[in-house]
Amino acid sequence: MERDNHQEGEADGVKICGPTSDGNPPGKSCQRSPYLDQVTRPEAEKTENFECQNSVSGQQSTRGPEDATHDNDQSDSGEFVVTMLAKAKLEEQGIGVEGRSSPLLEAGTLESPALASHRDEDVTADSWRQHRKHVFVLSEAGKPIYSRYGSEEALSSTMGVMMALVSFVQSGDNIIRSVYSEEHTVVFLQKGPLVLVCVSSSRQSERQLRGELLYVYYQIISMLTQASISRIFEHKKNYDLRRLLAGSEKILDGLLNLVDSDPSFLLAAVHCLPLASSLRDSLSQILQKAITPNLVFSILIAKNQLLTIVQEKTVIEDTRLEPADVHLLLNLIGASSAFQAGEIWTPICLPLFNPDCYFYAYISYLDPPECTVCLLLLSTDKEAFYAVAECKRKIEEAMVAQNSLNLIAKVQPYSVSQVGVSDLRHFMYKPFDVPDNFRQLTQFTSPEMEAPYSNEEEKMRLLDLYRYMHSRIHSTSRPLKLIYHVAERETLLAWVTSKFELYTCFSPLVTKACAINAITKLLRWIKKEEDRLFIRYPPKYSTTPNPSKTSRGGKSDQQDSTDNGFLSLL
Amino acid sequence: MKKPDVKVVLLGDMNVGKTSLLHRYTERKFKDTISTVGGAFYLKQWGPYNISIWDTAGREQFHGLGSMYCRGAAAVILIYDVTNWQSLAELEERFLSLTDTANHDCIYAVVGNKADLTDPKAQQFQDPDETSEDRAECEEGRTEPQLHKQVPPEDAVSFYERILRYKGLDEKSSLPAGKMCFETSAKTGYNVDTLFEALFDLVLPSILRKRNENQVSPTVDLEECRGANNKRARSSCC
Repeated sequence: MERDNHQEGEADGVKICGPTSDGNPPGKSCQRSPYLDQVTRPEAEKTENFECQNSVSGQQSTRGPEDATHDNDQSDSGEFVVTMLAKAKLEEQGIGVEGRSSPLLEAGTLESPALASHRDEDVTADSWRQHRKHVFVLSEAGKPIYSRYGSEEALSSTMGVMMALVSFVQSGDNIIRSVYSEEHTVVFLQKGPLVLVCVSSSRQSERQLRGELLYVYYQIISMLTQASISRIFEHKKNYDLRRLLAGSEKILDGLLNLVDSDPSFLLAAVHCLPLASSLRDSLSQILQKAITPNLVFSILIAKNQLLTIVQEKTVIEDTRLEPADVHLLLNLIGASSAFQAGEIWTPICLPLFNPDCYFYAYISYLDPPECTVCLLLLSTDKEAFYAVAECKRKIEEAMVAQNSLNLIAKVQPYSVSQVGVSDLRHFMYKPFDVPDNFRQLTQFTSPEMEAPYSNEEEKMRLLDLYRYMHSRIHSTSRPLKLIYHVAERETLLAWVTSKFELYTCFSPLVTKACAINAITKLLRWIKKEEDRLFIRYPPKYSTTPNPSKTSRGGKSDQQDSTDNGFLSLL
Repeated sequence: MKKPDVKVVLLGDMNVGKTSLLHRYTERKFKDTISTVGGAFYLKQWGPYNISIWDTAGREQFHGLGSMYCRGAAAVILIYDVTNWQSLAELEERFLSLTDTANHDCIYAVVGNKADLTDPKAQQFQDPDETSEDRAECEEGRTEPQLHKQVPPEDAVSFYERILRYKGLDEKSSLPAGKMCFETSAKTGYNVDTLFEALFDLVLPSILRKRNENQVSPTVDLEECRGANNKRARSSCC
């Protein structure tokens, strides 16, 4: 086991960075030196002051992290903060190292059935403190906005403490980024008037956790837009944002569950369903033909994965749809599957596309009552519901004519056995090389998780291994190109080149030479299957209100006049 | 597209049960719903007529969309929760003004949902169309009604009268409050059909008038002229 390496470069203590690193993407966290509470600020006096506030123990920082595991020393800085956060009795500190496996278990099994009751959780109970990953959102005034577990009201003083930490450090022209203890990592992210905090015992890297907080922030933006959030807080510093987010908690809960269980978020890439390229092309053509003015994206989804995506030509000219925006859309769909027959029309902001504006999303299932195939049409026109709904009618008709739904129903995620490499249990492959000049959607491909990773607990364990490999590969202090990692029950190999990023999982006794050999075979297989595994050339259409006569042929013109005609009926 | 003959809109605060009411009426069951985002459009076949129903989100986040959903509505159902007085107050404060874009002859219904929580009659009601399976599921959670009713029917009636005044409608020539205030339970199905059927009956004249108008209307119904799309669509611009 290489578990000790988890601790590499991590020291117990508070880490503070100078203000220059604010607003940087999660990757650019500051350099850290091991075994030292790193405070980049020069004035030593204030530093000490801060340490005192947290009862940070100078003696702790000189200790290696390994020997601290069985120590219940209450002066441990991180644990102290966590304790404060939990408002719990100090004697409860010794939850012990075994705690490491229990949060895992819990994440896999307990969370899903108990979803509804999370708000009512007793925040003083041990079970609350043992959650694998807490996420809190608060306003700069210290008002609670969201908590993953427990009600915000019950946590208001806890969040007050968090805000006190943030502003204390801020008052010295600094920014608090994280707090480490042997069991928990506390990561802070400030975005505009919002403060996001993650308290995790998942052993993920700070960078990964900050990335996850960023997803939470983006999801909030997707519902309210950045502009309106800043406007609200400019007007009223202590506004209770929950008024506007009420009812959206499940969307955030759903996002956090996905972040934990779906590697798309880790890889910042979308996972599309493997599909014969002829079928994918015909679906794209169907979408391409059903257009109306101001339609900008047409997206077809099955089993929560992309089938195809068609985009407006001019809107997309120099921007592309970011994977994160797609993830937010998919999460919204998953969290709002109202009931089958309905057609949803809702404003939604794609924060990476434009954080200040709304698109209007039309969401409808094409195969009620099963509801596995979902159509998502995005328009820039608030009033376009009926015109966009008419596009769905056209798409439906064409899909009936081509028997598409039956073909889609047969589509399955693939099995790793199809690759034909023995001892290979699972992999995730994310290519960087784009086949055409249009910068296209970043994607990855991965087979279904099969035995021994068939239950939730094992799946989570494998994902955690991947997360660990990912954090090593992308370590800011010591990035790596290739890792061969022999774990207890499997062997993993991660490899990043200028062309791709690859994570593979083998049975435990595979040698390094053997694994590299297998990867060569795997890469060959992926190359061969490329057309099926990825959306190769995202198709486009033109729906600008006044299509220039240069646009090729009469086809799109005719389409437009039809739709205009329909609009005038309304 | 089956052209909707008439538009009905459901309005009300978060968690009063708008989606559940509609679900009970259309799917004959009660299940946990997720907070609606934006608005959801349903086309209900009612006899020979197509009625479009907009189930809107009660969340303040989507407030800005309300008047769009209400545009041209023939009926608006204002829903509150009988166990929550604030939900009635919200109707007046936040939702009534959204109906400014509705038809001038729009009819209004005031509906107190969740009656099963306070009223034994509503609690014991059984939806005859519900499958025994769904009912069994529902029975499990059935407890004695014991919550305090915060909104007496008289309050709903006086709210209805204030709506008429707000709209500048004459009380005598308008539909009487007794006919337009309901108490329902989406959970048991109590009064749900009564509500929707009564409302649809009342909008029937406006359906017929609209159909009539359409016959002499100069605009072209695309459904009727598929195939001749190009020529006819252009003519509609004139």
